[in-house]
Amino acid sequence: MLEHLGPELFNGLVLGAFYAIVAIGLSLIMNLTGTINMAHGSFMTLAGYLAFAMISRGTSFWFALLVAPLLTVIVGVVVERTLIRPLYKREPFYSLLLTFGLSLVAEEVFHLIWGANGVPLSPPANLSGTVQLGFMSFPAYRLFIAGALVVAIVALALFLTRTRFGLRLRAAVQDTEMIAALGTNTQVLYMVNFGLGIFLAGIAGVLAAGLLGLSPTSGNALLMPAFVTVIIGGMGSLFGSIAGGLLIGFAISLTTLFIPAASEVSMYVLMAIVLMIRPRGLFGEEGIFG
Amino acid sequence: MTPALRTALVIGGLLALAPLVLPIVHLDVSIVSEVLLFAIAAMSVNLLLGYTGLPAFGNAAFFGLGSYGAALSIKYAHVHFIEAVLVGTLAGLVGGLILGPFLLRRRGIYFGLLAIAFGQVFYFIAYRFTSVTGGEDGMNFARPYVGFPNVHFSLNEMSFYYVALAIYLGIVALFSVVAVSPFGRTLVAIRQNEVRVRYLGINTDRFIFVALLISSTIAGLGGAMFALLINFAYPLTLDWHQSGDFVLIMILGGAGTIWGPLVGATIFVIGKDIISTITPLWQIFLGALFIACVLGFPKGILGSIAAFRDRRALVGAASAPDAQTPLPRGTS
Amino acid sequence: MVLLEATAIGKRFGGVIAVDDVSASVHEHSIHAVIGPNGAGKTTFFNTLSGFYFPDGGTVHFDGREITRMPNWQRVAAGMGRTFQTPSIFPELTVHENLQLGIWSQAGQAFRLRGGTRAQTQAVEARIDELLGFVNLASSRSRLVAELSHGSQRLCEIAMSLSTSPKIVLLDEPMAGLAEAETERIVGVIRDLRERLGLTVLFVEHNMRVVLSLADRITVMDRGRLLAEGTPNEISANEAVRDAYLGREVVDHV
Repeated sequence: MLEHLGPELFNGLVLGAFYAIVAIGLSLIMNLTGTINMAHGSFMTLAGYLAFAMISRGTSFWFALLVAPLLTVIVGVVVERTLIRPLYKREPFYSLLLTFGLSLVAEEVFHLIWGANGVPLSPPANLSGTVQLGFMSFPAYRLFIAGALVVAIVALALFLTRTRFGLRLRAAVQDTEMIAALGTNTQVLYMVNFGLGIFLAGIAGVLAAGLLGLSPTSGNALLMPAFVTVIIGGMGSLFGSIAGGLLIGFAISLTTLFIPAASEVSMYVLMAIVLMIRPRGLFGEEGIFG
Repeated sequence: MTPALRTALVIGGLLALAPLVLPIVHLDVSIVSEVLLFAIAAMSVNLLLGYTGLPAFGNAAFFGLGSYGAALSIKYAHVHFIEAVLVGTLAGLVGGLILGPFLLRRRGIYFGLLAIAFGQVFYFIAYRFTSVTGGEDGMNFARPYVGFPNVHFSLNEMSFYYVALAIYLGIVALFSVVAVSPFGRTLVAIRQNEVRVRYLGINTDRFIFVALLISSTIAGLGGAMFALLINFAYPLTLDWHQSGDFVLIMILGGAGTIWGPLVGATIFVIGKDIISTITPLWQIFLGALFIACVLGFPKGILGSIAAFRDRRALVGAASAPDAQTPLPRGTS
Repeated sequence: MVLLEATAIGKRFGGVIAVDDVSASVHEHSIHAVIGPNGAGKTTFFNTLSGFYFPDGGTVHFDGREITRMPNWQRVAAGMGRTFQTPSIFPELTVHENLQLGIWSQAGQAFRLRGGTRAQTQAVEARIDELLGFVNLASSRSRLVAELSHGSQRLCEIAMSLSTSPKIVLLDEPMAGLAEAETERIVGVIRDLRERLGLTVLFVEHNMRVVLSLADRITVMDRGRLLAEGTPNEISANEAVRDAYLGREVVDHV
């Protein structure tokens, strides 16, 4: 059994990177606008299906990996501007309810267009083998995913900390009114922020489709671990999302190895333990209610 | 006789007579039982979301625990009807006791996030521990007898309906009393301005915990009865989609109102039944209903009627949680 | 006798030091003001005293015991009442209902799941009449708080803070944003808090004229630090305070 430990830990890393990137997108949207985006999984699925449609019409995987998330962002921004924007002034659970409804509609639409069963999205041929690294061999596609997700997360971190727009975004999370007073258009911030979250979801969606399969509900399967990631890492913390995602990834892969039936439950146990020690998550900040 | 009591008697009377008209509209009596049980579940959400302002997006966990509590006790302990209902109700309460300490520390969307995430844990347990729960396939059982020391009798669909009606009206009575009690008024005040409530010397955590326990117990009772209605318990009753349905039913009828959940449940359950026979696309209608409800009439049907008729009638226990005094979001 | 004592309070938010080593002693039956220019940290200091959040350093003693990290709702039971800069009330409830809650809380009745007995209800009603009489809002008893004027909302909030029978009332900028006439009403009520009810008052205020005429003792803060503490005469004579905060002409007018 122990000879599986190395590969399982690597699987945990890849899985954890997925959770982290989905959680970062969720967290960005949640922090700035107070919206728990229940349709986040649907956007992932949409990106996957768009990539599938493009590849099956003869485009390359690489083209689809870039363009499908961008098309998804366009859909996402239209949804944000037309349906979610009117809710920013209301209690946040209304936007939760609305995105929940969206995810139900989306699931059924995917079902109608692409069928209830999964469709295959195969990674390109040059990523289908294994790579020998040191004493272990790794599936090339997983290795590529791990690399791509790390690049995406680092790029995002640079964007948020090094660019003017990123700094404004982070300042707006602290205090929306102040940013409005400084002359930054809050609505543009909301829109770009939402688009950014959806773009991350889109990339994860395409990459996941080649690894975990693609069906009307495949994105939603990643949504719940991503919520747990946000809670464990602490809401609004980029670093927390990364740490939380990896922790859950390892927890799930290790329980899959030793107690397969408890693989999902393990992340809840982890969440409960973290919350008992740190009620606001690993990197969450203190607030009035304790 | 107070107007509220008169309304209760009229609605109770209509519900008692409902089975007489059902054959005319080609509806089965069990569907009206389902309406009542979903109304009970939506009332459990109402206490937390409608009255107290907490986004209770995980109440299916308690509902499902009620279902499994009843089903498991029948399957493994061979208990009778009343005992099965009690075990299910208790399972809901225990669920509240387990999750409560985690949930009550946070407010606003964070409460919602925790409710969604923690609520799902029981789903995975039921789904994965196939040897005990039957996993994805759920558990079938025969509806047990109602057993008293000397008498045993079985419940057909009609008598089951009246049992469900009695339970529903009992919970309505409980809500009517609690809503105007100091406890109920304090919950409404917490929704409007929790910081102020704390600065009146009230430990709001304690109130929220008790509200959560009442809510989870009611949801457990509804879930236990639901399992006994369909003689089946399955993991999807524990799923967050189920929680979403309960929230929708509550909002649809009117948040913070006594009869809103019944109105919402009637539209939801009967609408689902009718639309499902016409088209397989029920879920698109459901999703559209969510969106329309949020954008179109967030106060719900009863809330909108009350707002139209009399602004004052909305005040206190009867208005939708709205934008006037949002809780500190995000960081709270 | 010192009723409320803050010793070497410090509070930071992230990298910003909002309050640094500030102490103050509030004597029983006094009207004590905390003043300072914008960003002086006076509201932050005030919030650590009322338990809105806890200080990072220093201690708070109240009525003979340490309350530095006591939860805010327990402070109320210990005899502290407070108001907020933006009136903190239940806008969708009536004035009467707003006051009910604190009275229930103090009588230990808030947790009841059923309505009260006739005697209990009468006692609550009598107390509400008393409180409304004190702040002169009796005629607004059954109106929605949201419908009241800004000044009346303030008075309603002061009545709410009295409903729990405190020993000290903490008022956060009670005159902020009010017209002259309404300011006078509040000033009168604050004086009455001490004269008629025998309470102690601590308030944060911007309006210098009001502070100098109303307070017995004044704590002056600047950039998170304690600048001076003393009587109105001492404070208006203090050079450091004049330089940091007071326009000379304002002081000369008093």
